[in-house]
Amino acid sequence: MNTLLEAFSMIATTEVAVAILASAVYGMVIGALPGLTATMATALLVPITFYLSPIAAIATIITASAMAIFSGDIPGALMRIPGTPASAAYTDEAYALTRKGQAEVALGAALWFSALGGIFGAVALMILAPALAEMALSFSTYEYFWLFFLGLMCATLVARSSPIKAIAAALLGLLITCIGIQNPGGVPRFTFGFTDLLGGIEVLPALVGVFAVSEIMRALTSAPPPPIPNRRLGSILSGQWALTRRYKKQMWRGNVVGVLVGALPGAGADMAAWIAYANSRRFSKEPEKFGTGHPEGLVESGSANNAALAGGWVPATLFGIPGDTITAIAIGVLYMKGLNPGPTLFTEKASSMYALYMVFIIANILMIPLGIVMIRTSRHVLRAPRAAAMPIILLLCAVGTFAIGNNPFAIVLVAVFGVLGFVMERNGFPVAALVLGIVMGTMVEHNFVTSLIKSDGELLPFFERPVSAVLATMTIAALLWPVFVWLLRRLRQARPA
Amino acid sequence: MHLSDRVTGTILIVLGALAFWGGSLLPAVPGQNVGPAAFPMVIGGGLMICGALIAIGIGRSFEAPGPERSEAPPGLASRIGGLAAALPPLLLIFYVLVAERLGFLPTAAIILLVTALALGAGWRLAVGVALIGPPAVHVVFHNLLRVPLPAGILPAPW
Amino acid sequence: MTLITRRGALAAGALAGIAPLARPALGQARYPNRPVQVIVPWGAGGGTDATARIVAALLEREMGQPFNVVNRTGGSGVVGHTAIAQATPDGYTIGMITVEICMMHWQGLTQLTRNSFTPLALMNEDPPGVQVNANSPHRDIRSLADAIRASPAGRLRASGTGQGGIWHLALAGWLGAMGLPADHVRWVPSNGAAPAMQELAAGGVDIVTCSVPEARAMIEAGRARSLAIMAPQRNPQFPNVPTLKEGLGVDFSVGAWRGMAGPLNMPTEIAQALTAALQRVWNGQEFRDFMNARGFGLVWGNAAEFAAHMERADGTLGAAMRAAGIVRS
Repeated sequence: MNTLLEAFSMIATTEVAVAILASAVYGMVIGALPGLTATMATALLVPITFYLSPIAAIATIITASAMAIFSGDIPGALMRIPGTPASAAYTDEAYALTRKGQAEVALGAALWFSALGGIFGAVALMILAPALAEMALSFSTYEYFWLFFLGLMCATLVARSSPIKAIAAALLGLLITCIGIQNPGGVPRFTFGFTDLLGGIEVLPALVGVFAVSEIMRALTSAPPPPIPNRRLGSILSGQWALTRRYKKQMWRGNVVGVLVGALPGAGADMAAWIAYANSRRFSKEPEKFGTGHPEGLVESGSANNAALAGGWVPATLFGIPGDTITAIAIGVLYMKGLNPGPTLFTEKASSMYALYMVFIIANILMIPLGIVMIRTSRHVLRAPRAAAMPIILLLCAVGTFAIGNNPFAIVLVAVFGVLGFVMERNGFPVAALVLGIVMGTMVEHNFVTSLIKSDGELLPFFERPVSAVLATMTIAALLWPVFVWLLRRLRQARPA
Repeated sequence: MHLSDRVTGTILIVLGALAFWGGSLLPAVPGQNVGPAAFPMVIGGGLMICGALIAIGIGRSFEAPGPERSEAPPGLASRIGGLAAALPPLLLIFYVLVAERLGFLPTAAIILLVTALALGAGWRLAVGVALIGPPAVHVVFHNLLRVPLPAGILPAPW
Repeated sequence: MTLITRRGALAAGALAGIAPLARPALGQARYPNRPVQVIVPWGAGGGTDATARIVAALLEREMGQPFNVVNRTGGSGVVGHTAIAQATPDGYTIGMITVEICMMHWQGLTQLTRNSFTPLALMNEDPPGVQVNANSPHRDIRSLADAIRASPAGRLRASGTGQGGIWHLALAGWLGAMGLPADHVRWVPSNGAAPAMQELAAGGVDIVTCSVPEARAMIEAGRARSLAIMAPQRNPQFPNVPTLKEGLGVDFSVGAWRGMAGPLNMPTEIAQALTAALQRVWNGQEFRDFMNARGFGLVWGNAAEFAAHMERADGTLGAAMRAAGIVRS
């Protein structure tokens, strides 16, 4: 009880309150600007955290990233330009809802279920952190390999277009990750002598190029889409309670998947969103509606990606192991502020931990009013003439990607991926699968090769450990399921002869 | 650039073959039984298979065709048609080449002006965007986020 | 809405700290008379970034002008190091260089070497430790070394960083110093120390040779144990961990170090002024508190000592890389 009171007093200071509020607005705005992403938002905060007290510093990171992960859904829904790789999983679905004139359903669902997911994640973090950590620690490279492979397969399940083209797009994404020195062998691959390619192709320039730039390119060659009916945006939250009741199971499933996947170091909100969306479609009673503007998938994946954020803090706080780039940055800030990850954080500095949990919950509650404001504002922006908005977006793409590593080469990458995305979309290859391939590629190869190194080239260990066996079965089942279904259908057709 | 499935399929086959070949050239690493060649070769193989399937035409039936629009696109496209799509990537490369010397504000203004005009904006709107946009972006990134933007010939007065 | 934005803007302004306006210095032409850029070849939030930021902040206080840290990532450090080396040598662009500069050219990744810079000061060095799982039967380094010698080649596994990374070379060098081939213990590459420690805890590898600060969280959680460090003397932060020499009689040491440097041919007075300021920073309480909190090793070297240190490191690491078969010129 004492620690709780102490924690409360830590956050009830002006500095922390201002920090939370300022970084909430900051995260909301940056995440919502097409061309800028949640990771960018968090990375750019680091220099500023330097001047803040420990709790305030971490509070800014927590709040900004939570807001940005949600607000990345806004440009995705309104303009088909996702703000984060996580949003890319369901951008098409959300955009379809907007075209149907139901933007507030899409955005409201994203907001409501993100907030709920974040709170669920925070509570899970508070109660289950040690258990989740045990689970995370039992994951070795074998388990990871199957998990990431499974994640990759989600690409085939979510595409509106042909599964073969989706697989091809994902393979292309994997091929792109081969570039560089970031392979287990440390051998430069496909770099053609360019220093800038040594580090490989990062996800952010690819994401920005493939979605935002190609969208601008499309805008240049087609007439403006018919204006979305300019009616007053209905209450954003009113439909959400009904949705919650209708899709209760999906919401819970999304939350659980989010926390579990987020807790695994290396897998983050991106993977959680994809897996949740794929699950949603696979287990849905109306799978054919997916892709036409159906909120069910949004419920599940919106919950998952914010829940995953909280899950990612489990290995981060307990062992200093980052769950994804955002938590990696957060760990750096934790160290910088003397809140070293590890058991001391839970014993000597327990009040700080509780303070952080509280910030988590506050941030997600704050998300709702701020999110509503953000959504209403962006609807106004949508009404701005396309010829004024698109150029600004293009500029933001350039500056935003430059800002992360201060490397102009990133802008070149954005241009290249813009062309690639444009050509792919025109020919029916889903770019979201490409992005998924890039997100997963290094991890799949890394875990595959290191597993083989550890097992001396034997394949049996991939199936021996209990968790690997389960994951392997799931993956193979997912692989063979469509074949099985196809066979069944053929048999059934052949019978009435 | 709508290419036929046969063309895209063939491109994938070629790409896959190149990946396979490129991968096979990579040296093995001492101490590791699976080298860096494995992944590119597997992916190359997969791409070749997918390319072949696509070229034959399998999987086409799933695609949902986009709505055809018969109105003429505005701005640049009405003059040079589909080539207008090349503008954004070209402008981005322009930025990379020129920004250091010319400075952020002039380069950004040029990019905004050209894009706005190409999208069919009137001169007033285009110039307006080109005048307001760069300083706004500059303040946010340079002052708030401390990102070094090139000063060039027209450094920001703040 | 207005209230929120105003408050937000005020807070953002306050948070942004010192405005990057050049303050005209009294007595022109005294260095520095405008902001200085500090380039960091690694990403925001990492150990090198954090160290560079605190050094920059303290330098700002010492010298009266803003020292702005800029991350220039890419190419596994090559991009940032290249940026530092190719900057105008007027003292207004410097950077933090790391041990990788002595490794990159051996791997054929770049032409840059330690001689492409004007060394200013060595600020820190972290030696690798030898960590095992808490459930391991080995309670001291001698027991582990015996087990390594007794095991067939390639049976035991170690991790800590990527292939050819500094901790890999540490293992290779240590095995060499014990008279064993560099791959007697098989190296399993990892994306950094934290995942390697996780593998150790999960039982996937037997040994992790990352630095003790990187392993600290796991050690304190009771999942891992540090048996020795490869340094000339013990780290006061971890006084119970003996050196290789003490525990085993093997005199091998190596480390991941960080230092400040500028492009070649910097004016001598400016370089000396920076070195002097860096020494004051290094001796100051804030820097010590920061380094101690993270467990980073406080090691000092002025310009000449830094240059000599880099030369030794270049030799040791080159030998280790040759033994591990990584040299590619």
